[in-house]
Amino acid sequence: MSENATSSIRRSARAPRETPEQRAKKRRIQLSLGAALIVGVVLLGFYIQSQNPRGAVIWAVGLSFGYVLQRSRFCFTAAMRDPVLTGSTALTKALIMAMALASIAYLAIQMKSIGLLPADLNAENLDDLSTIPGNIRDVGVHTALGGFIFGIGAVVAGGCASGTFMRMGEGFVQQWIAVVFFIIGSVAGMAMLPPMKASGILYQEGAIYLPQLFGGWLPAIAVQFGMLFILYVLADWYGKKKAGEI
Amino acid sequence: MPETKKYPFHEQFLKKEWSYPMGAVLLAFLAMLLVLVTDQAWGVTGPLAIWGGKFLELIGINADSWEIYHGTLAKYNFWKNSTSLTNLGIVLGALLSTLLAAQFKIKKIKSGKNIAAAVIGGLLMGVGARFALGCNIGSFFSALPAFSLHGWVFGIFIFLGAAVGSKLLTKYFM
Repeated sequence: MSENATSSIRRSARAPRETPEQRAKKRRIQLSLGAALIVGVVLLGFYIQSQNPRGAVIWAVGLSFGYVLQRSRFCFTAAMRDPVLTGSTALTKALIMAMALASIAYLAIQMKSIGLLPADLNAENLDDLSTIPGNIRDVGVHTALGGFIFGIGAVVAGGCASGTFMRMGEGFVQQWIAVVFFIIGSVAGMAMLPPMKASGILYQEGAIYLPQLFGGWLPAIAVQFGMLFILYVLADWYGKKKAGEI
Repeated sequence: MPETKKYPFHEQFLKKEWSYPMGAVLLAFLAMLLVLVTDQAWGVTGPLAIWGGKFLELIGINADSWEIYHGTLAKYNFWKNSTSLTNLGIVLGALLSTLLAAQFKIKKIKSGKNIAAAVIGGLLMGVGARFALGCNIGSFFSALPAFSLHGWVFGIFIFLGAAVGSKLLTKYFM
């Protein structure tokens, strides 16, 4: 794999030929611009709050997403791609951890909103699963097809949805082009959805909520965390095997 | 490196990379915060279809009358749409992070292959995300932990797609 190719996906350790003076100057300029940007986003935050009663919090969370994604180099695409491409599973394991932590958070939020008893899960108001916190949406062939196409696209483009926006901020021209075609693809996908639904084969109506599927919270918890645990052990084993440690 | 010792505060707090698990913990925390504040899970790609639809309207195509948009374009307001705000936040948050680390650099396109990768990859992501009713965030990070089967199915097939994408990447785009 060439250095050129990895750099568009993952930050590489580049060694620019700079004198210490140039480096100090660059640091001064970038820190000043950073300070100006802080002032800018705070001012924008005030405007957003004036337009949207929850705007300031949403804005702060969004900025934090970008900051955290950039600082930790957390990348959903790489987590899915690296096991195949490089044999590394460090990011895959972190993704599974994130999923497990978010599962605990959603479990608490959903239990509070629905109730703890198995009977609560069958209550009539739960017929509409979209009322449950989190995205519980139609599952079927369209999900599998969409995932497969999305997976190819994310690896080829060098970043998934959140990764594309993060890299735009990092200064990757490639992602500024990708986002334009991401938008065009989104419209194309929107246009294709109705015929897919009409086909009866490519789209299935109806979401499936695991606590309902397994008839209670406990079995759903066991399956969810059991699966995540198995995946973590597998990823750990595979990573060590590829690194030659086993 | 002498510079490293010259600016210990900058090195320690602004330049040092965070670990992957640290990223995992903070992302899960922020995603939870967003759900609690907005009653809506974190997503990314929803507004992209809206922006595209808006552009179609700009060039005279009334996409809002399509059954699939059914008036969402007219109702859309960037500042009131939580996903649009977090998307802009991701761009500026990442920019802020690189500036404060003094690592910002425009990464130019190196070859036509980069452009082809961006075009093809972008199109596929757009189509895929609409088919699955969400992207790696909306139909995965906000779905699998929410105990939705579609999150699991989407994740498994992203993985399979990523494996195929890796082969294509090494064969055609490098």
